[in-house]
Amino acid sequence: MKDGGLENKKELENSKKQSNSSKFRSKSDDFALSIAKVAVAQVCESIGFQSFQHSALETLSDVAARYIYTLGKTANFNANLAGRLESNVFDVIQGLEELESGLGFAGASDVNRCLANSGVVRDIVHFVGDAVDVPFAYDIPRFPVVKDRKGMGSFWEKGEEPHGEHIPSWLPAFPDPETYATQSTVGNGTMSGSNGVKTGLVRVEWKVERPLLNFQQQFARNGNVGDSSCGGGDSTKAKEASNSNPYLAAPLHFGEKEVDVSPVVLPTKLSNEVASRDPIPENRFLGNQVSVLETFATAIEAMKSGICEYDGSRQKNVLYNQRPTVHFKIGIGKKSLNSAPYFISKNKDLQKIAYWFENGNEKDDRKRRAEIFSKESMECSHESGQL
Amino acid sequence: MNHNQQSNDGKHDDDSALSDFLASLMDYTPTIPDELVEHYLAKSGFQCPDVRLIRLVAVATQKFVADVASDSLQHCKARQAAVVKDKRDKQQKDKRLILTMDDLSKSLREYGVNVKQQEYFADSPSTGMDPASRDE
Repeated sequence: MKDGGLENKKELENSKKQSNSSKFRSKSDDFALSIAKVAVAQVCESIGFQSFQHSALETLSDVAARYIYTLGKTANFNANLAGRLESNVFDVIQGLEELESGLGFAGASDVNRCLANSGVVRDIVHFVGDAVDVPFAYDIPRFPVVKDRKGMGSFWEKGEEPHGEHIPSWLPAFPDPETYATQSTVGNGTMSGSNGVKTGLVRVEWKVERPLLNFQQQFARNGNVGDSSCGGGDSTKAKEASNSNPYLAAPLHFGEKEVDVSPVVLPTKLSNEVASRDPIPENRFLGNQVSVLETFATAIEAMKSGICEYDGSRQKNVLYNQRPTVHFKIGIGKKSLNSAPYFISKNKDLQKIAYWFENGNEKDDRKRRAEIFSKESMECSHESGQL
Repeated sequence: MNHNQQSNDGKHDDDSALSDFLASLMDYTPTIPDELVEHYLAKSGFQCPDVRLIRLVAVATQKFVADVASDSLQHCKARQAAVVKDKRDKQQKDKRLILTMDDLSKSLREYGVNVKQQEYFADSPSTGMDPASRDE
């Protein structure tokens, strides 16, 4: 035990030493170091050297950079000691004296010396007088260059109204609906559109939540997976999303066709199909999730009057499933609630579905009640997912 | 009183000398560029809007590098003077003055910087052997 402790201590010290030395010379410092190399080479050339060893030049330039750094640090420390933020010429001279104290300078032992006529300054004055004026070889800009980032405007700046009281106006606005992914992707789940990256991130988050689920399986096999894989809240999210925006619906099951599905499709049958098709235990897990969807579906059904309405939504859900795999962030459904009719759809089937939406507006009151409930639960689950 | 006045005059002279020197710094362009010095000073937390101080730091660094380089040059020349085989050899060696790690570490040691390097790496059987006796 004691030996183990000692070994750990040594390793800790070694790693600390390495980290301390590498902190000064980080990757981002390469540019400055290379400039220092050129400058030091020029100085050595003026002294009389004709060529250098690479390692020697690197060492000397590193030492020169550390000299500047130490000088600045000491000067800043002296200024802070005197109660100032900005450094003084006397702070710098004191720092110089401290650095030169190793070799010594004229008047170092003087007790009552004034900094103004310090020995180091006199040495520097002599040096400037004697040295040849060799300017730096290249023109370098000020670095590091600070990029001017034009951030996304807030709701207030853009003049838009946030979609609910819970969204303050100083937050960045949602992107325009036109920037959402408009191209339906094929097969293996490639991302398209400016939103595709976001959805990819959301998908990855879900993947992290359910490490058993294979990303490809999600889109190759189960249509309901993408929506229902995150638990009940997301399943209601899926429901709400599929009701409002056809592109936010889950991808279709393998082999299911958009048109040929019978109008009465019981959810239990669907879940049984899912379970039977995929013998892998992961999907059995999904089967459980689909049943969660069912329970929510029944709850929503209880709020509505007729079964046909529910079946209609299920039908729509299943019909959407037929579309080739599309990846969307379900959270955007907030905006899509209002904009579903304006959705630019190239697919004729999608236009049909959008038409159905417009007809279903009468029933939206009760649907909206369910959707508000699901929205809140969705936000909670979404936030917890992102955390 | 006279003594005080004299010392005050002396102080004024010192101050004026310093301010004159700082003013003259703006005419002299140090080899180490201002941008590089500003970068490292900013990294260390040094804050000063005065450009003359940056020039002062640049000149001080240049003086430091020049001192180290001149010391290592002296070491190099001393080594060349020590190796006297033939007049021809000496002239050949005098052509190239190379800054080597050896000379650099010796001169840096005086300034308090300890640079230690491996003398050789035993990665081949002929490492460390006299070059004349190596089979090529």
